Amino acid sequence: MESLLQNFDLVIVLVLAILGYTVGSLAEKRHYRSIIKREKELLKMAVVTAEGSFPPGKVGSSALVSGSVVISIDYFKRLLAILRNIFGGRVKSYESLVDRARREAILRMKESARKQGANMIINMRLETATIGRSANKRKSVGSVEAIAYGTAIVMNKG
Amino acid sequence: MIFTPKQLDENVNVSKSHPLIELLWLLGGLILLVGLIFFLLGVTADWAASKVPVKVENWIGQQALKEFPAEENLPLNLRLQSLIDSLPEDSLLHQYKFHIFLVDSVEINALALPGGNIIVYSGLLKQVQSENELAMILAHELGHFAHRDHLRGLGRGLGVAVAAALLFGGESAASSLVSKTLLTFQARYSQDQESAADQFGLDLLTKRYGHAGGATDFFSRLTEDAGSKLPYFLTSHPHPQVRIDALNERIKEKHFRIAKTQPLEADLLAFH
Repeated sequence: MESLLQNFDLVIVLVLAILGYTVGSLAEKRHYRSIIKREKELLKMAVVTAEGSFPPGKVGSSALVSGSVVISIDYFKRLLAILRNIFGGRVKSYESLVDRARREAILRMKESARKQGANMIINMRLETATIGRSANKRKSVGSVEAIAYGTAIVMNKG
Repeated sequence: MIFTPKQLDENVNVSKSHPLIELLWLLGGLILLVGLIFFLLGVTADWAASKVPVKVENWIGQQALKEFPAEENLPLNLRLQSLIDSLPEDSLLHQYKFHIFLVDSVEINALALPGGNIIVYSGLLKQVQSENELAMILAHELGHFAHRDHLRGLGRGLGVAVAAALLFGGESAASSLVSKTLLTFQARYSQDQESAADQFGLDLLTKRYGHAGGATDFFSRLTEDAGSKLPYFLTSHPHPQVRIDALNERIKEKHFRIAKTQPLEADLLAFH
């Protein structure tokens, strides 16, 4: 017991890592399930990065739509990334984080376009930013923000 | 162009490998890397420590005394002197100017600091029951000086901190992770030093009193509240029972005589 107290910081690191791993991977699995489900639902909403040109009279209205999301790292992912900082190589633990953020941002943009009755989104752009920079520094937690924006097009009927 | 919506089954943007396997690889690499740094630094520090003349150390000790003036403890000094007198003529320890201090603290510990300064905590003195036990403890500290452990420890600690800060930056999490791993190595190394100092202490005790009585008494008293051996993996000192076993083995090997111990004399009983 005494040695547990003496190595208290080590115990905290261990507990946080285990907690981060279990809760983090559960949350990630749940998020991916929801992403895949909603992607299927919104499959009909076409999103393209092309500018798009339409014959006159075809477009009823157009509007800017955007979706953004912030996703935080967990302690386990951070630990893996810190270790990666030493040896170099792909920071695999952050890959799923960025992937989730981008897909979620696109989904939110599509949902907002559907609410406006749009048929498709053209000129879609994706941007990623960090919140709480230098996440691998001591005592700081990092998150990733992804924002997707584009032009929602409502077609004229007929 | 006809737009056909399609859901992709495979995700190329996320690596397939399991994070726990990655963690194992990275941790293994870290331990290997740190072990290598520790080994190289250790060899350098040990070499440097053995080259530092005692004169330089005495000078460091005097500077430290100027900064922190403290009263030397006369009764303890008498015991230390009689131990030094029983050392062989050519011993390195004769070059040292020893100063021994009694510090008021409940902690049960004694320290060997650079420059021949020995600090004994009053908590330790209260535990001591016989002259032989005290001689064993003082001889153990002299063993640290003879092996120049205090310099080596200083060199290693400093080297490791500097190396970690240089490699990964002082403020980075990686640097603190590296130094934490290093502490584990440090603990193993320091346990070896303690055992070596125990052996030196035992030999000196036997030379001083003509027998090895009382060598293990102090550690047996520690064993009672030491508990399991497992937590001792990370500490700087070995488990008391391990130390007792090692001492007994040496006593048997060298055929040391065991005789009755002498009780503490009045001048030291005053501190009880």
